[in-house]
Amino acid sequence: MDVAALIAWLVTAVGGFVLLGTWISKGGARAPRTSNFPPALIFGHFALAAAGLVVWIIYLVAETSGLAWTAFILLIPTALLGFVMLARWIPTYRSRTVTAGPGTTASPEPAEKHFPVPVVVGHGLFAVTTLVLVLIATLD
Amino acid sequence: MTSQLHQAKRPVSAVLAGPYGHPFHPILVTVPIGAWVSSLVFDIASRVVDNPGFLNQGSVWLIAIGVVGALAAALVGFLDLFAIPGGTAAFRTGLVHMSLNLTVTAAYVANFFWRQGDYGEPVGVALGPLVLSAVSLAALGVSGFLGGKLAYHYGVRVADEATQTEGFRNPTT
Repeated sequence: MDVAALIAWLVTAVGGFVLLGTWISKGGARAPRTSNFPPALIFGHFALAAAGLVVWIIYLVAETSGLAWTAFILLIPTALLGFVMLARWIPTYRSRTVTAGPGTTASPEPAEKHFPVPVVVGHGLFAVTTLVLVLIATLD
Repeated sequence: MTSQLHQAKRPVSAVLAGPYGHPFHPILVTVPIGAWVSSLVFDIASRVVDNPGFLNQGSVWLIAIGVVGALAAALVGFLDLFAIPGGTAAFRTGLVHMSLNLTVTAAYVANFFWRQGDYGEPVGVALGPLVLSAVSLAALGVSGFLGGKLAYHYGVRVADEATQTEGFRNPTT
């Protein structure tokens, strides 16, 4: 279960890197801000998830239950920030067919509009799987 | 082209990647470099001294410290890589730098598990893991060269020349 959680976590991380890379390269971090994601939100999510992953890797070797709990506790705010981003992304996703049409105002597109939908869905599903697996492994 | 260059000089997140002109990645990489160099010194010394057990164990600890340090450095490194516009020579150099570092880190993870059999035994480090460490460190050297090229040749995350000039103003003239 410990290793299954690690694998799910790593797959989630790859998806997250694709989304983060897309967001930055499409100008999400640049001023003036066009994105609906405040940088603190996306980088906070990234930092918490990454710190949790490092703690989980150390737990796999050291096998101290305190480390497993630390990783799980780090995942909770990570998940909450992730849900905030999902809530802020959905309106952008739903409006993308509308703004693509002619005659719309030339307002700059938010960077998260370029997110590949399968990556967003996969990232979310693997993230939930990771959270569940980490909880089961921690309680074990 | 100039704006692309200036884009690579700015942090994507000052809190995580370091403020302008003070990137965190170069200081974080000193942890894995120092730990892994010391680990190889311990490996070689373990084959010379009389009671090599402590060096064998210490070397495994140094590998683990290096791996954790490398992961921390990698996270910040990814942010600096994302700051470089795609399709440029600097970005390609960054990709090779990243791939080499990830490979080296994976090699040290494998090396860590390879050594578990001898851990706690009063023996020197076996030749296989020692050679893997030496090869990994050589690859890290090549990768470090590319990292140096990114900073000192392409000026990624280095303050622009107007900022640099401030350090060379002569108040008497």
